[in-house]
Amino acid sequence: MTGRRRSVFVVMLALGIALVAVAPSASGATKKNDIVLRVGTTQDIDSPNPTVGALVSSYEVWALQYATLTDKAAADFKTIPGLAESWTASNHGLTYTYTLRKGLKWSDGQPLTADDVVYTVNRARSEQWTNFDSTIAHITAKVIDPTHLSLTSSIPDPKLPIMDVYIVPKHIYEKVTKKGLASYKGLDGIGSGPFTLKHWSKGLSWEMDANPNYWRGRPAVDRVIFRPFTNADAMVAALKNGELDAAENVPSSSFRQLQKAKNIVGVAGQQGGFDEISMNSGAGVGGNPALKDLRVRQAISHAIDKQTIESRVYNGLTTVADAISPSANPEWIPKIPADKRFNFDLAKANTILDDAGYKDTNGNGIRNMPKGGADITLRYAERSESPYGAPIREFVTGWLRKIGIGTSVKVYNDTQLTPAIGKGDVDMFAWGWVPFVDPDPELSYFQCNQVPTKADPSGYSNDASWCNPTYDKLYKQQNTELDHAKRVAIVHQMITLMYEQAPYVVLDYSPDFQAYRTDRFTGWVKQPANIGPVIFSNTSPSYFLLKPISKASSGGGLGAGAVIAIIVGAVIILGGGGLLLRRRQATAGERE
Amino acid sequence: MTAEVATPRVVGRRRIVWIRRRRALSRVWRMYRASKPGMIGLVVLLVFVVLAFAAPALASSSGLHAISTVQNPTWASPSKFGPLGTDNLGRTIGAQFLWGSRISLFVGLAATLLTMLIGSVVGIAAGFFGGRIEGVLMRITEWFLVIPFLPLAIVLASVLSRSLFNIILVIAITSWPFTARLIRAQVLSVKERGYVDRSRALGASRWHLTTRHIVPNVAPLILANTTLTVPIAILTETTLSFLGLGDPSRASWGKMLNEAFDAGAIGQHAWWYYVPPGLGIMLVVLAFTLCGQALEEILNPRLSERA
Repeated sequence: MTGRRRSVFVVMLALGIALVAVAPSASGATKKNDIVLRVGTTQDIDSPNPTVGALVSSYEVWALQYATLTDKAAADFKTIPGLAESWTASNHGLTYTYTLRKGLKWSDGQPLTADDVVYTVNRARSEQWTNFDSTIAHITAKVIDPTHLSLTSSIPDPKLPIMDVYIVPKHIYEKVTKKGLASYKGLDGIGSGPFTLKHWSKGLSWEMDANPNYWRGRPAVDRVIFRPFTNADAMVAALKNGELDAAENVPSSSFRQLQKAKNIVGVAGQQGGFDEISMNSGAGVGGNPALKDLRVRQAISHAIDKQTIESRVYNGLTTVADAISPSANPEWIPKIPADKRFNFDLAKANTILDDAGYKDTNGNGIRNMPKGGADITLRYAERSESPYGAPIREFVTGWLRKIGIGTSVKVYNDTQLTPAIGKGDVDMFAWGWVPFVDPDPELSYFQCNQVPTKADPSGYSNDASWCNPTYDKLYKQQNTELDHAKRVAIVHQMITLMYEQAPYVVLDYSPDFQAYRTDRFTGWVKQPANIGPVIFSNTSPSYFLLKPISKASSGGGLGAGAVIAIIVGAVIILGGGGLLLRRRQATAGERE
Repeated sequence: MTAEVATPRVVGRRRIVWIRRRRALSRVWRMYRASKPGMIGLVVLLVFVVLAFAAPALASSSGLHAISTVQNPTWASPSKFGPLGTDNLGRTIGAQFLWGSRISLFVGLAATLLTMLIGSVVGIAAGFFGGRIEGVLMRITEWFLVIPFLPLAIVLASVLSRSLFNIILVIAITSWPFTARLIRAQVLSVKERGYVDRSRALGASRWHLTTRHIVPNVAPLILANTTLTVPIAILTETTLSFLGLGDPSRASWGKMLNEAFDAGAIGQHAWWYYVPPGLGIMLVVLAFTLCGQALEEILNPRLSERA
């Protein structure tokens, strides 16, 4: 009998421990009078390790955790001093010498010296780190003394003196081998930016604490808690109830009503993001043979009514687009001449396909490959994590049917879709990018060497498997063109070429819909000024500049928001086991 | 002489069996009619079946497709765009509701049939053969029973590709064990009855025993159980579709709820988007349950003894 009672006691104890562990208050050591900023998003981070992660939410972690050598102005991305207070050019602009600020320290108190910067740049180059490579591929760094270092580029580099890669702490990363880096979780939480990662519960939240050693000084906010929501409606409700101070990736459908809410400001933050329908153009692995034919891709471009998608799916809040946007600065986007544009015209699309010899030879309403070949049925991937995935699929598959192209739809979450594209299991999908400030990285993704290969189906950026030698040649040209106007002209030429070749049907330039409360914090900053987002922007300057309005307590009462949070939490716990495939809106975009 | 007598006797016996069955059926119907909830359930069910069959006549399928409803207003309430308003893409809720009822009912019925088939075969085999076969079959059944139902269904549905047939398969795979156990228990009790022993003593084969004595005696229970399994199957289909694991190209009530939730219908206060499918599911499930309970009370020997 004692034995049984004891076992009951043990079970109760275990339950109690489990409850305490699950309770949100126990996940971090938030003190009563800490000033806490709570931010809602729809996407969890993939990895806090800057050499591995690729999702927008991870970039937000790094933007806060790592200060960069040169910083960018909030208003216009102008290059301003960061860890380096000044720099000088020599050797015809191939070499730059940077002077670091005095007394720089990592968040753990270790000194931050030229050694850390040089270590990061040289190791990233030799190991070709993701997120670093396109910036430092041609750059060699050298320590001059603890506060001076030089960067030398082997080719003329129009990007220098900008050096915005994340400087990682040498005393942490030198313990991680090249092999171990891919699996390194990056939870060290040691950085040089205003906040450093303290805690990450996958699928639930991540918390970042103020860094007392930040070179601009300690932020007024003590802690930032990010909560990824699986349901955007719940996030909107939490913001309205004051459970959150800000939210990003608000669905366009609730954006207008949020703008009308009391104490809430809605921001449609422009930073060059665009959405596209991508077609597997056949230079990689697998893919439908019909899409290798430029005429088929052009016919499909004629069959997609961007205007309708813009008004029906995005509720008229985005801008209809022609070509890709490689930068947060619109000067890099060319104007596509009227005679080259693929206007919505189903009859024309049908004529192109008829003339190209794709006829419906077996009379089932679906065109066949020439000479009585197979039906043209494209494998369409719908993203479960995007609230726009289903509506866009609804429209696109409908129009394709009208031009005699069949589709078979499969739903993927983002972590499944990336390898599926690489393996050629997908012919068509709708996704988006958020570019860097400099157009170079975004343009680099569409080179032939970025096409997925059989050997490495996940190490790719060219998700349309599109390869064009002229494009590659132009890319190399702009990469070393120091004359800004000439470089812009080359980039325009590249993008126009890509538009004509139609691996992408670019739907729209899409802002990040955000909203923040005005009753707890002031000092929200848009980057770039007037049109940009306030959080999840390029360098996310808001967090450091925010000041609390009153000494509002950080822990809210158990209101409706808490109930929603509990429900959402339960859903997230289920999803944590990989059972619920409903995480949302992961812009595959890579940004700075 | 014997041959002359034998022929009419055989015919006569068949007729007697037929008459007996007809009498049994009319007795069941009489008893069923006396059950008020059963009749309410039946009427509601008939209404939905008629609606489902008449869907093409009542609402054009063009109302289901976003590209053919571009001229419709979005988020229009029923007062602005009859009869049931429109959704975030301008598709009509009325068409989605009617066409969705077909998928929801079809999946519910098809999955139930498959469930009953698997469950009955396993239950009868386990109960009848006993011994090692029973041991193996019942361990498998128990294994399926202890795995939480919904997670298993979600995992299966996400591993398989999203099609109507796979949803039916997933529901059948996850819900047959309940039926199997129920049937087995009934087979065990039928097996011990005197006439089965006598038949066996007269040298009847296993096949004869199963088809002539066991199956006819568990059939009513299978029928009653079927009616009670349909609502579970419909609810499972709804749940999986709501979680985004249904066939993305076909409107079902679960998919309507999923899309309403995703499109932010709750935040928009667009009640006309989520109330009709929710109400539809509730009514159909309730109707099947009422019918099933009424039938069970008549057909399940244990319950009818008590009644």
